[in-house]
Amino acid sequence: MQTKRTIFPNKLLPYVLLLPQLAVTLIFFIWPALQAVKSSFEREDPFGFRTTFIWFENYTRLFADPNYVNSLSRTAVFAVSVTILSMCVSLLLAVAVNRVLRTNRIYTTLLVWPYAVAPVVVGILWWFIFNPTIGILPYMMRGLGVAWNPRVNGDQAMILVIIAASWKQISYNFLFFVAGLQSVPQSLTEAAAIDGAGPFKRFFTIVLPLLSPTTFFLLIVNINYAMFDTFGIIDATTSGGPNQATNTLVYKVYADGFLGLNIGSSAAQSVILMLIVIALTAIQFRFIERRVQY
Amino acid sequence: MATINLVDLHKDYGNSHAVRGINLSVADGELIVLVGPSGCGKSTLLRMVAGLETVSSGRIEIGGRDVVKAEPAERDIAMVFQNYALYPHMTVRGNLEYGLKNRGTPRAEIDRRVNEAAEILEIGPMLDRKPRQLSGGQRQRVAMGRAIVREPAAFLFDEPLSNLDAKLRVQMRVEIRKLQRRLKTTSLYVTHDQLEAMTLADRLVVMNGGLVEQIGTPTEVYDRPATLFVASFIGSPPMNLLPVSALGNTQGLNLPAGTDMVGIRPDQMHLEPRPGATALPATAELLEPIGGESHLHLRLDSGHSVILSVPGRPSITEGTAVTVYIEPAALHPFDSKTGRRTDA
Ligand SMILES: Nc1ncnc2c1ncn2[C@@H]1O[C@H](COP(=O)(O)OP(=O)(O)OP(=O)(O)O)[C@@H](O)[C@H]1O
Ligand SMILES: [Mg+2]
Repeated sequence: MQTKRTIFPNKLLPYVLLLPQLAVTLIFFIWPALQAVKSSFEREDPFGFRTTFIWFENYTRLFADPNYVNSLSRTAVFAVSVTILSMCVSLLLAVAVNRVLRTNRIYTTLLVWPYAVAPVVVGILWWFIFNPTIGILPYMMRGLGVAWNPRVNGDQAMILVIIAASWKQISYNFLFFVAGLQSVPQSLTEAAAIDGAGPFKRFFTIVLPLLSPTTFFLLIVNINYAMFDTFGIIDATTSGGPNQATNTLVYKVYADGFLGLNIGSSAAQSVILMLIVIALTAIQFRFIERRVQY
Repeated sequence: MATINLVDLHKDYGNSHAVRGINLSVADGELIVLVGPSGCGKSTLLRMVAGLETVSSGRIEIGGRDVVKAEPAERDIAMVFQNYALYPHMTVRGNLEYGLKNRGTPRAEIDRRVNEAAEILEIGPMLDRKPRQLSGGQRQRVAMGRAIVREPAAFLFDEPLSNLDAKLRVQMRVEIRKLQRRLKTTSLYVTHDQLEAMTLADRLVVMNGGLVEQIGTPTEVYDRPATLFVASFIGSPPMNLLPVSALGNTQGLNLPAGTDMVGIRPDQMHLEPRPGATALPATAELLEPIGGESHLHLRLDSGHSVILSVPGRPSITEGTAVTVYIEPAALHPFDSKTGRRTDA
C-alpha cells in the first residue's frame, strides 16, 4: 500500500495542528491518570486535612482484603461469561444473516440497534424485564416454579448483569462477524461440500478457522468491554449488590472512592485496572500485526 | 468411472433463463469441453451437475443414478475451481486429505493416495506448505491433486487455467490432457478459450444463450459448423461470413436451396488462381504478420471485409488491388433466417 506523505513547509505547524488533541488527552487522560497513581501511594485523613505518603500500603491492604479478592474473581466470572455469551449469540446471528444477506438488509439493521442504546438505558431495560415485582420474565418463571429475585439472590443478580451486558455487545460483535463471514469465499465452502463435509463440519473446519482473526480481535475487545465498560449497566440494575455479588472491579473503584470515600484505596484499584488494560491492549496490538497469518 | 446424462436440463433465476433445455450424454472416460461466450450458462450447467446449484427442471444422471436431489458429496464428483478454492489454513497435505478424511478413508489408504497424487503432479516437496506459499501453477496442481486423490466418478473443471499466464496455461493444458487419458475419468471441462477447447476435448459442446448450438468432435465442429454462431465462434481468425450476393455469379457453386449466407475459413481463400475457383476482386487494407503466417485484411469490391490467413509474409502493400480465389468445396452454406447449415 502506498502512503502519502505531506511535507509541511513550517516546522511548527504540525505541532500546532496536533495541539488541541494533545491538550485534551493531557488534561482529561494523562493528568488524571498521574493523579490516580499519586493518590494510590497516599493516605488522606477522614477530614481531608492531611495526606501522608505511605508507599505500597494501599496495594498490600487491597490484596489482603477478602472483599477485593472476591471482586477479582467475580469480575473474571462476569467478563468470561459476557464474552462467551455475546460472542456465541452474535456468531449464531451472523451465520443466520450471512445466508440471506443479499436479499435482506433490514434484518441486519435491526440487529445493530442495541449498540446505539446507552448503557444505563440497557441496564434499566433489563432491570424492568427482570424486576421481581413488575417484570415479565420473573412472572413467567414463577409459572415454571422458579423463584426469581435478583435483589436477594446473588447468583441471579450476576445472571441479570451478564445478560444485560452481553445483549448490548452482541450488535458490535455481530457486525464484525458478518463482515468476517462475508470475506470467506463461497467457493471454499462449496469445495468442502463436494469434499463430503456437512454444514456443521464445514462451519467448524473451514469457516471458523478462517474467522479466527476476527474472533481473536473480538475476544480482546469483549473482555475489555466487560471489565471496564459495564459500569452504567451494573449501576442501573444491581448497584453491585446484593451483598457484593455483582461488585466488579470497575464498580468497586466507584463504590470505594465515591461512596466509601477511601480515595487512596480507590486510586490503587484504578491503577491496577489501568495495568490490566495496558496488558490487554499490548496483546491485541501484537496480534493485529500478525493477523493475516492463518 | 461413469457416464453422465443430462436430460432437458433447465435453470431459471427468476425471470432470466440461464440454461434452457440441455441434452447431453457423456460416455465413460470421455472428456467433454463446454465452450461458449461469457454468460452463456456454462458455469451454471457445471454447477448443477456438481450439485452446487438447484435444477429448475430436467434430469441429471451420473453412473446411471438420478442425482438431481443428491447433495454434492453424494454425487461422487470432484471439482476444480477457477480460483482453486484451496483451504488457506491447511497445508497442501491437509488440502489433499480433507475429502478422504471426511469420508472415513483408512489412514494407510489416505497416505497411499496422497503420495501417489503428489508424485504424479510433482508436488511432493510442497506437501507441508500452506497454499499462500505456492505459485499460481503450483496451486493449480494442488487443486488437481485434491480432485484426483478422491478417485471420483467424474471431474468437473470450471475454467481451471484462466488465472495462469499464457505459457503455464499451455503446459498445464497438456498435463491435464495426459492425466485425464491416464486416469480415464469422465470429465466435464468449462472454458471460453477455444484453443483450450479444441486441444483438450474428445467432444465439444458449443453453447450460446443457455442452449446447445452443436455437439461434436473438435474436427467435426471446425469442419462442419452447424450454425452461424458456431461458424463465427470457433476458429481464429473467425470464419468469414458473406451474403451469397457477394459471390457474384453463383450458378456453378451448387448451393443448397435456402442458402443466403456462406462462410469461408480464412485459410481457404487464396491469392493464386485455382481450377474451378470463384474469383473475387478486392483491395488490401492491412497486413498483420504473426510469425509463420500473416493475416491479410481485404475489402471485397462488393463492400464486405474479409480476413485471409496466408503462409509466410507476402509483399502486399495497403491499397493494392488483389484477386481472391475460393473453391466451391470450401464454402459453408447457411440460412441466415434459421441460422442453420443448409447442407446438413
Ligand atoms: N446467482 C445468480 N442469480 C441470477 N443470475 C445468475 C446467477 N448466476 C448466474 N446468473 C446468470 O446466468 C447466466 C449464465 O451464467 P454463467 O455463470 O453460467 O455464465 P458462464 O457461461 O459461466 O460465463 P463466464 O464465461 O463469464 O463464466 C448469466 O446471464 C448470469 O448473469
Ligand atoms: Mg463461468
